[in-house]
Amino acid sequence: MLESIVSYGLAVGAVYALIGITYNVMFSASRVFSFTAGMLGMLGGVLGALFITKFGLPVIVGLVLVLACGALLGIVTEILTVRPVLKSIEQHLYVLSTLAFALMVQQLTAIEWGTEAQPFPRLIPIGPGWLDQQFWLPMLACAVTIVGLELLYRKTLIGRAFLAIAEDSYAARALGLPETRLRMASFALAGMIGTLAGFTGAEMLLAFFGNQSILNFYGFVPVALGGMGSNRGAVIGGLALGLFQQAANFLVGGIFAAVAVFVVFIIVLLLRPEGLAGAATARRV
Amino acid sequence: MTDATASAQPVRVFSLARIEGALPWIALGLVGLLLPLLDDSYIGVIAQRAYIYWILSAGLNLVVGYAGQIAIGWVSMLTLGAYATASLTAGNATPPWHPYLALVAGGALGAVFGVVVGLPALRLRTFYFAMTTLGFATIVTQVALAWKSVTGGGVGTPGPVFPWPFEPGWGFYYFCFFLAALATWMTANIASSRFGRALVAIRDAEVAAEASGIAKPRLLVAVFLFAGALGGVAGGLFSSLQSYITPDAFTFEMSVLFFIAILIGGRGSILGPALGTIILTALPEFAAPLVQWSTFLYAALLLVIVLVIPGGIADLLDYRNRRPLEQHREIVARPELLSRVLDKRSERNAIALTGVSLHFGGVRAIDGLDLEIRSGEVHGLIGPNGSGKTTTLNVISGYYRPNAGQLRLNGTDLPFDRPQARAGYRIARTFQTPRLVGGASVLENVMIGGMVDGSGSFAESMLSLPRHHRDEKRLKEAALLALATVGLEQLAPVRADRLQHSELRFMEIARALMLRPAFLLLDEPAAGLSAEEIRRLGALIKAISREGTGVLLVEHHADLIFDICDRVTVLNLGKTLAAGTPDEIRSHREVVSAYLGA
Amino acid sequence: MSISRRQILAGSAVSAAALASGFPAPAIAQSEPIKIGYLPALTGPSSSTGVGINRGTQLAVELINKEGGIKGRKIELISRDTQSDPTKAVNAVAELTQRAKVSMIFGPLNSGEALAATPLIARDKVPMLHPCWVDELIDVKKYPMAFRIAPTNTQVGAGANYYVVDVLKLKKVAVISDTTGYGTASVNTYVPMLKAKGAEVVYQNHIDAANPDLKPELLRMQAAGAQAIMPWSVNAGFLSRICNTRGAMGWDVPIVGQTTLGSGQTKALLEKPEYWNKVYSNNFRQVCYANGKLPPRAQEFVDRLKAAKIGFGDTLLWWVALGWDGGTIMADIFKNAGTKNDDVVAYMNKVKGWPGIYGTVTWTPEQHNGFPDSEVVMCEVNSLKDGAFNLAPGYSA
Repeated sequence: MLESIVSYGLAVGAVYALIGITYNVMFSASRVFSFTAGMLGMLGGVLGALFITKFGLPVIVGLVLVLACGALLGIVTEILTVRPVLKSIEQHLYVLSTLAFALMVQQLTAIEWGTEAQPFPRLIPIGPGWLDQQFWLPMLACAVTIVGLELLYRKTLIGRAFLAIAEDSYAARALGLPETRLRMASFALAGMIGTLAGFTGAEMLLAFFGNQSILNFYGFVPVALGGMGSNRGAVIGGLALGLFQQAANFLVGGIFAAVAVFVVFIIVLLLRPEGLAGAATARRV
Repeated sequence: MTDATASAQPVRVFSLARIEGALPWIALGLVGLLLPLLDDSYIGVIAQRAYIYWILSAGLNLVVGYAGQIAIGWVSMLTLGAYATASLTAGNATPPWHPYLALVAGGALGAVFGVVVGLPALRLRTFYFAMTTLGFATIVTQVALAWKSVTGGGVGTPGPVFPWPFEPGWGFYYFCFFLAALATWMTANIASSRFGRALVAIRDAEVAAEASGIAKPRLLVAVFLFAGALGGVAGGLFSSLQSYITPDAFTFEMSVLFFIAILIGGRGSILGPALGTIILTALPEFAAPLVQWSTFLYAALLLVIVLVIPGGIADLLDYRNRRPLEQHREIVARPELLSRVLDKRSERNAIALTGVSLHFGGVRAIDGLDLEIRSGEVHGLIGPNGSGKTTTLNVISGYYRPNAGQLRLNGTDLPFDRPQARAGYRIARTFQTPRLVGGASVLENVMIGGMVDGSGSFAESMLSLPRHHRDEKRLKEAALLALATVGLEQLAPVRADRLQHSELRFMEIARALMLRPAFLLLDEPAAGLSAEEIRRLGALIKAISREGTGVLLVEHHADLIFDICDRVTVLNLGKTLAAGTPDEIRSHREVVSAYLGA
Repeated sequence: MSISRRQILAGSAVSAAALASGFPAPAIAQSEPIKIGYLPALTGPSSSTGVGINRGTQLAVELINKEGGIKGRKIELISRDTQSDPTKAVNAVAELTQRAKVSMIFGPLNSGEALAATPLIARDKVPMLHPCWVDELIDVKKYPMAFRIAPTNTQVGAGANYYVVDVLKLKKVAVISDTTGYGTASVNTYVPMLKAKGAEVVYQNHIDAANPDLKPELLRMQAAGAQAIMPWSVNAGFLSRICNTRGAMGWDVPIVGQTTLGSGQTKALLEKPEYWNKVYSNNFRQVCYANGKLPPRAQEFVDRLKAAKIGFGDTLLWWVALGWDGGTIMADIFKNAGTKNDDVVAYMNKVKGWPGIYGTVTWTPEQHNGFPDSEVVMCEVNSLKDGAFNLAPGYSA
């Protein structure tokens, strides 16, 4: 039983963590929380199943195509729903524009792909238990993403430019950094991370349009708890959430687990709106 | 005669709700009243549904459209009200209640949970709040599924059948119609009261709202209570219309529908969202082949609205504000009216800062500052950029808590971290960048400044009781007078976002005057003004101080400072470089070399 | 009084003759189509059943109209896609009863919408034919004009319980469901029934169907000593996860439950085909293979479908048959009783042994549930062929 809690909890937690990182990457570049994070996760599974099962493409080609679609959607999100409302960010119109876009994509998926959950192919036929791909693949993806982001941010020029924008976009622009292009690149990157989360988690979560709202919420919980913009917080928060959920599933059962997660989420936010590890909010005047 | 013109002048003013006029409402009401003559129950059912959805949306409109709180999951109130009314009537957990009584209980439950769900909005950022309402909507459905003894679980529970006079059919139709009309009336009352203006101020200019003494928590709690109650009542009616409720009737799509109806209608409008609700309820019935695509189309519509016409239907209907304004407008302030605007203050008051220090991280923004602002004097605060002028002003108005030092009013400590409490001490301020409610009229923007002087309660405004009317009358007169004083009375009915920059600066002063301030803190009021306007501004400020108000003037224009200030403090790197009369400062060697650059 | 197809044909021949000789009834009423309201869920979640049933109903109406309709009147099927949304169903009921003034309503199929629609249709005094299984829909006092041509949930559960306890001889049972209305109601009804049969319900729970890992649940069942799993859900993802988890655990207990266990969607979600072994789902005797052959009526129907080029390999035979039965029984009723509500109900109250493809229907004034207990059976899901299944081991042919 413990094995099941841990393996499954960490796997699903890794998916949450990756969605949390997706939120963060978009947030760092634009100060915008986007409802498209869950959408990307959902599409990772649906598009993966479409390319590999329906079209019969090789796994690697399928994965590359999924990531490319993710990047493209990220760019579309930025151009269509974020850039036009960025001037008046204090009006929070991005909440509405990203929600609208995510809903459109979700409904389109429901109509074209169907409302039933569909299977996702097994990519690496080893298993059962710990060795089963559905458990280690999301964790691997999470680890790769974290290391990749760390290398990107620390070792490359473009990564430092990302950080500069996240730190102080005004100053970054004054330094002559191409803020708009960097923001687009960030959204493309977020698109890839989000779809990767969905792709690697899909054997577990299936290719299902309804995953969007689940991932939107449970992917956001680690961000809220860990502090916005903090990838470390998202990973710790995501894994903790996965383990908690799974333990609650074992010990008390489904509905109560959902209620418990929600209550913890609300209480933590009310007590520490900036998250357990976050910094206080910025100046307003 | 000039003296008396201000209040006598027939300025036509339209409050937010009345921008839309009475005509569309009368038309809608007539259609609603006469609809049963068609004797088509199908249309009747669709209309009942539209009324019920509107009862919920009317309340939600105050939350979303007015206060700007993005409550996506408000369908949860419908769920709660529906289950409360249905299970009390059916007697699932208690002896069966009378349906009308159960409906009231549904409203009460909605009110309670409206506040519970709304509370996070007081502390959380917008997106967080959106997520919590969404999460709550999911939880409510799950609880409805799990709590079988009361809700019937997944099998559901029959909805109430209201007895005479509102029995199923046209009786129930009129019940829904009248409740919808009542909800509209109450929300319109709130929207056009000082509470409605305060909500919009919280949405568009939160900092200015605080400075005007608007207590966001109390106000939002009242609004969430009201919106929750309406949601609950709508739920009770919904359960009767549906005849039987199961958790799958309360979908996220429905929540999206309410939300989008409001935004399509336009934020800060009532007619717009009402039309939006009617259209979105009826549209799928006429476009049956598109049913599958309805949520997609709603979402697409939302995106278009947000990106292209953020003002929604209401903006399209607001033809008055498309008329061109006069091109070459001049602001002619009339300081002589000040004696009627301000209380004559003979007492000597003083705000004193002693040894105040404040640092942000490693940066010392203010470093051991002493400063005294006295009644009847203009105190100039100058210094290079980053010398701590605005920071000082923010400390006085309560936005920052200093790391050391004291801030006292007549020897008593002023509290920190509670900027909304400053209005109670009659300390008013303006902002470096004017904080305005763009969609509201200039008059309404100014009336926001008088929030603390209303005496009627939220409930009194909701029910349009006498004290509400007295408040409104007094605030309106005072605002017109303040506008006349600063020279903007001609622009009173114009949307504030159509004003020129210089006019906004004077509008902010008029808003501050509404508080009849003992102290007025002005943050670079001359920035962006022409020489002639600066001269008039100077005369106005001087006149304000002569009425007994203490003025702190943060400014870059040295001429203005030296013209009108009684005393001047020069800051450099957060420290006092020099302090004294204008003449002393003008001859101060360090100041001249470091700052005045002579 | 049993009505065969031949009698019906005879009836229409008589009326055709009557029409030719030009005597009774005003011509307008004669040529006006008979309106039937139809409330399937053709899009949105859980629409696959609706799509399957719709094929049968549409075909039935098409053929009846092609053969000249009912006494010269065509049947007009006024169909409203409810998307399984109770609010849409309520709107549609108002439209069908008040504006279109239909003579009868067939549907809706999903419990939430059917529960909401039924009292409203009863209030408007329109006869109603239910394909939906929810027990509460039939109540001769509250809804005297509502009749059912499908089994009730109680019958379906009793069929499964009978199979587990009396055929497989298993006494320790785990009963679970998803959290939907259908699922929770089923568990609540079936557990007492199982206990009454002397079985011991060692584990019982409602599980969120979105929960992707069911291992905790199955481990708890195993720990409780369950000898059979009875899952009640129409969610293919949920059911397939039960099969997969059982398979991965190598736990050799039968899974006995609802028809969706045998759906193509459930099959598609299996990790290995053998995880579908020892899975038995509800089905209906008239549309199951016994010794490799369908009963003659069903075979005739399949041939007819093939002739009309209606595919059903992607759906299930019983869905199409149910839709067909709905269309043909309504036609028979109108043919024999006209379209006046009272006549229709009086006639329906006396239908006995109506030979449907899906089931044999019998109604009495006291009992409007028309499906016989004996025709609710279990089948082997891994025998799926052309939309139909083999009877489960233990049933006589």
